[in-house]
Amino acid sequence: MVTPHGIQLAAYLISSSYGDLCSKVCECLLRRGTLTLAHVIRYTELTRENVINCLRVLIHQNCVQAFAIQQEGAYGVAPRIVTQYMPLFDNIIHKLRAPKFMQIVSEELGNDCLEIFQALIQHGRLSINQIIDRNKQTADSSNVDVVRESFNKLLNSRFVERCPAPEPFLPPPSEDEPTTKKRGAKSKIAEVPKTTEQLALSAAAPMESMRFLMEMDDHSEERIEESSNSTTPGVKRKRDDLTSEEDMLDVNEKKEVLWRVNFEEFVRRLRHKACISYVKSRINDEAGIVLSAVLELNKFSETRQKAENSGYLSINAIYDEVIKKDGGLGMDFERVRLSLEQLGCQTIENGIDESYSIDLKGIIEMAQNEEVESVIMKRYGREAYRIFRLLSKTGRVLETDKISDTAFVEKNDTLKILFKLWKDNYLHMEKVGVGKLTFLMWRINKEPLSVHVLDEMYHAVLNLRLRITHEQDQGKEILSFPREKLVGELGKKYKLLGKVRVILESSLMNLDEAIMLFHDF
Amino acid sequence: MSKRKRPEKDQPGLVDSEHAILNAIKARKDNGIWVRDIKLETKLTDHVVTKSIKSLLAKNLIKEVVNIQNKGKKHYMATEFKPSKEMTGGDWYVDGNLDKELINVLKQLCMRFMRAQKVATLEGVHTDLKKNRVVTFEISSQQVAEILNSMVLDNDIIEVKSTGLGDYHSIPIGATCYRIASGIAARGLRVGAFASIPCGACPRISICAPVGVISPSTCVYYTKWLDIDF
Ligand code: SF4
Repeated sequence: MVTPHGIQLAAYLISSSYGDLCSKVCECLLRRGTLTLAHVIRYTELTRENVINCLRVLIHQNCVQAFAIQQEGAYGVAPRIVTQYMPLFDNIIHKLRAPKFMQIVSEELGNDCLEIFQALIQHGRLSINQIIDRNKQTADSSNVDVVRESFNKLLNSRFVERCPAPEPFLPPPSEDEPTTKKRGAKSKIAEVPKTTEQLALSAAAPMESMRFLMEMDDHSEERIEESSNSTTPGVKRKRDDLTSEEDMLDVNEKKEVLWRVNFEEFVRRLRHKACISYVKSRINDEAGIVLSAVLELNKFSETRQKAENSGYLSINAIYDEVIKKDGGLGMDFERVRLSLEQLGCQTIENGIDESYSIDLKGIIEMAQNEEVESVIMKRYGREAYRIFRLLSKTGRVLETDKISDTAFVEKNDTLKILFKLWKDNYLHMEKVGVGKLTFLMWRINKEPLSVHVLDEMYHAVLNLRLRITHEQDQGKEILSFPREKLVGELGKKYKLLGKVRVILESSLMNLDEAIMLFHDF
Repeated sequence: MSKRKRPEKDQPGLVDSEHAILNAIKARKDNGIWVRDIKLETKLTDHVVTKSIKSLLAKNLIKEVVNIQNKGKKHYMATEFKPSKEMTGGDWYVDGNLDKELINVLKQLCMRFMRAQKVATLEGVHTDLKKNRVVTFEISSQQVAEILNSMVLDNDIIEVKSTGLGDYHSIPIGATCYRIASGIAARGLRVGAFASIPCGACPRISICAPVGVISPSTCVYYTKWLDIDF
């Protein structure tokens, strides 16, 4: 979900990794949406060369996806193919999570895999040959087989995936669409239905069967890659100034299969982790274990991004998975059942079979609520907390007096609190007139509220990052001293600096975990 | 000057102005009337109104009442009426103020009972409160329900449906009951990740910007937070 502070954060992240020019291009795309090269140049007021270079970097780092559409020519001019660039907001934010991703890989697959993975994080996209070459240069004793084996492990765990097609062509819709009245890409963009970006993404995505598949013969890969590219061969490209940049931006020149980090897999895992830790603290450890078992069993049936109910799983399968988990060995059927029940599972029993389905969405929603409620408590106090929870639980409009009575808050205070929450975008207010009297009705609008909270969280992430930079700048002098001089007063300061950094960094990671809960809903 | 319509029989010993005012007050029944409205309705002068009210109060025909909607404005009501719920704010209000002390005591009593019982229904809690005579007044089931509901909002207890098993064995399946949430009791209220950093609790987040008067690098909340933790 792209929000105003999300864009600020994205621009900051790009600027700190790839410089200000890239950040400018990226911000332009995020603010204005999908654009052609010409428009990026016009809006950023950068030179053509600069913009092309930046786009190349951004595409290579998986932050931008190009796609081609057919644009109607005006009065007798033949339609032409125009390349569009769309920003990939989520992928930019994932830059922030690289340390977490690396930790997961290192814990699960060990150092050899981590090295390859690190290279992919750093370089965005690499072919297997590039990976092997890199490994030759960096590692003392490099063994091609070991590299290939490690790479396969990464593929099997779905930590890496085949890159999407560099520039899929979206054929014009078959029905007679109203043609653009005005010239130029801008009016076209305004008329393109929202789903164009989604269409482009799915056109670019490799076939599911190929996504995690490594062919032994590199040459056969080429052919597959080419045929899985969605660029329709029949469409002739009309060469003109606007489209000639495609050659320069063709990242797939060598026609080797390129690989990249599969962010989806990590998002899924981190979201699960957030759910499990929520359940652990909310219910108990055993419920956490059971949940993680169910999620494990459900792993591959979950669709790309959205979390939903799990499929029905038999109690036997769940039990078998539970006892594999840390701390799960001591659990018996009764306790597994109890935990499933506490997790609010739906069950079907038909004679011998006893199956359960977990409402993952419900759990995520509860975790989201808790996150928001605890902000309300901290920022506005206990009475506001009660009022907010009342509105959240009721889920419909309530009148001021009713709120005051139910939440046990003085009438005047109630009104003050409600106004404050409303002013800060946490509530929705309606005025209802009955005769001469006006009543104020209050409600929580779930969707806009989640967006608002997410935006504030992005804001907070940016603030944390800026504060980390600030603290580092402050400590520059101390850090420049050689180690042995860091004694006494200086030593103390040095230690303090380290502590501050740890606190800020770990807060950042925890905050990001909460963001995962709000991600994509 | 006095109104022609007189719903009540003449009170003996009242002058005309007092009659008029008494009628105006009675007409409002249990909602009471604000002094200014008395003046408007009777069209009497300030002086006469004040004097008459004094005399009616002395004769115990009217009383002064607090209106929760507007505590600053003096309201009057005929003695035979009991102030409406809209006026007093309901059972939990005393002299126009929410009786927080009473509410808190009741919450604590409910909590104590709940800790001992693990799970309880509304009736269970109500019976216990009555039996132990911890409160001096006749507490209604509705009042207990309101207390329990506010404890749910406080996240001290949760509302659940009985499964008829385990802790619930004495409660019919499907009946609404209350229990202390297991996680919370042991660990205290969980503070979310966002709420545990300064920005989550910050009232000024909407005006905070990287380059601004209020900015993360100059932020005092951060300075304080980072200091306190050592
Ligand atoms: S940086 Fe400071 S002022 Fe800005 S939002 Fe965070 S706590 Fe508030």
